[in-house]
Amino acid sequence: MAMSKEELKKAIEEKALTSPKPQLYIKDFYAVDPDTKPRDMKNVANEMVREGKLMFWSSGSTTMYAIPSRIKNEEGAGGIGNVE
Amino acid sequence: MAKRETPLLDQLESGPWPSFVTDIKRQAETKPECWDILGILELSYKERITHWKHGGIVGVFGYGGGIVGRYADVPELFPGVEHFHTVRVAQPASKYYSSANLRQLMALWEKYGSGMTNFHGSTGDIILLGTRTENLEPFFWDLTHDMGQDLGGSGSNLRTPANCIGESRCEWSCYDTEEVCHSLTLHYQDEIHRPAFPYKFKFKFSGCPNDCVASIARSDISVIGTWRDAIRIDQAAVKQYVAGNYPANGGAHSGRDWGKFDITKEVINLCPTGCMWMEGAELKIDEKECTRCMHCINVMPRALRPGLDKGASICVGAKAPILDGAQFATLIVPFIKVSKDNDFEELIEFIEKVWDWWMEVGKNRERVGETMQRVGLPTFLSVMGIEPIPQHVKEPRSNPYIFWREEEVEGGFARDIDEFRAKHKA
Ligand code: HEM
Ligand code: HEM
Ligand code: SF4
Ligand code: SF4
Repeated sequence: MAMSKEELKKAIEEKALTSPKPQLYIKDFYAVDPDTKPRDMKNVANEMVREGKLMFWSSGSTTMYAIPSRIKNEEGAGGIGNVE
Repeated sequence: MAKRETPLLDQLESGPWPSFVTDIKRQAETKPECWDILGILELSYKERITHWKHGGIVGVFGYGGGIVGRYADVPELFPGVEHFHTVRVAQPASKYYSSANLRQLMALWEKYGSGMTNFHGSTGDIILLGTRTENLEPFFWDLTHDMGQDLGGSGSNLRTPANCIGESRCEWSCYDTEEVCHSLTLHYQDEIHRPAFPYKFKFKFSGCPNDCVASIARSDISVIGTWRDAIRIDQAAVKQYVAGNYPANGGAHSGRDWGKFDITKEVINLCPTGCMWMEGAELKIDEKECTRCMHCINVMPRALRPGLDKGASICVGAKAPILDGAQFATLIVPFIKVSKDNDFEELIEFIEKVWDWWMEVGKNRERVGETMQRVGLPTFLSVMGIEPIPQHVKEPRSNPYIFWREEEVEGGFARDIDEFRAKHKA
């Protein structure tokens, strides 16, 4: 049984608050509920961005998710050392 | 911002080619912050290290793409490029612009940005280079409200789809590339404007195998027009080419005297599958050997045309050399009909099947072509529910092992060994 949307949001928030690095890949969220399809998980995470609970952080070619308060400035906690 | 001394960069202007250094200096006459682009690059040349930081904010309100954040790590030295974000603007299908539209866009970019642009590089859409965070929202407002234009894709989004000019001007187009590109752009607005995948995803549409948008080299799903029946031959026109009355290649190479047109040398011997020959004055093609490479049609456009049973091939998995080196897309579906009548249903079904699989199995920052390579083509084909055909085979096998899946083996892997050995002694 896949989690409900509210349960997913709680689990995602928990994961994003406690991860070692503030920026997470969308795939990191798949693990919170293996029964939720990747595209549904993406829709929930993007909805949380619209609600202000998460923010997008991008290297330019890859986009990640973070809790806004964990990102110190708009450049984002010193970056993740990516290439584009 | 003051003029910068750039002795190392100035050397680049002395070569035979037009130099970006000259371009940026010219731009700096009206946009002094452009001096700081040259300044920061000069410093990097001296210190042999970049002074750009990657990443950060990604968009305007409601969007999760279209803006690529870039910051200088020495803003105190080069305040003009403290923020130097890139803005992606979606191009019109086939890149048809009116000069009025281009002027308006440039005026907007002079107002809110550095004025520097990069039109249609390898990524494809309009790239506006260099603006500050506080200019993003006002720019976006004017772009969408005054010009009715939109941002393109960046990051882990579906990137701005692109297509060749197709049926609008090209007689070779085997399907309506503009219609497909426009329809899918509207269909996938959410995927274009908000992150949807583990990494970037692109599709591009070419009307025939000349592949004028280079979809086979640049897109995760490359849709290339083709035909199933025979090339149409006008034998009278063939004779005119042979007699030298029609210029080869539509006259494209007529700036120089290449000598008399030689159909054997220039067409028949260059056919990659060797499927053409002359019978007297008649040109013959063994249709089933023809790979639709377009060479003969390109050389003799008045004599040869694509067949009438038209559609497209779908190739999957091209990418530029970020991790493992450049890779062309691999043929997956040899032929499908591409039709607006069913809203491109088959194409959409194919695309979403690839997405569902790749989102699950693909690793972070792994393009679908890399995932395919990792699992192997046979696995990818079986996931897609496609029967392998000879055209999927790149070269004869060099490995003698055959691997069976359990469902392919009579009795499965749990078959009773004693019963088997009773008939087949070890
Ligand atoms: C040594 C310096 C650099 C190298 C080797 C480099 C390399 C690359 C490569 C390989 C790509 C991917 C191209 C593609 O897939 O189409 C790319 C994209 C990009 N680069 Fe750079 N880059 C450099 C510096 C910069 C700088 C200084 C900026 C801006 C200030 C910048 C901005 C971008 C942007 C906006 C993209 C597009 C990102 C995307 O959508 O994938 N790059 N770069
Ligand atoms: C776990 C144990 C073993 C493994 C994993 C193993 C694996 C292999 C592999 C991969 C090959 C190459 C096959 C090919 O490409 O043609 C091979 C060849 C061969 N092995 Fe083994 N082997 C094992 C044990 C043995 C033993 C115990 C013997 C002899 C008592 C042996 C004798 C040979 C011979 C003679 C060949 C050459 C066969 C040919 O070229 O036709 N192997 N083995
Ligand atoms: S790809 Fe083919 S159909 Fe499209 S513009 Fe080029 S030649 Fe014409
Ligand atoms: S299209 Fe290419 S493969 Fe086909 S007949 Fe012409 S040259 Fe040969």
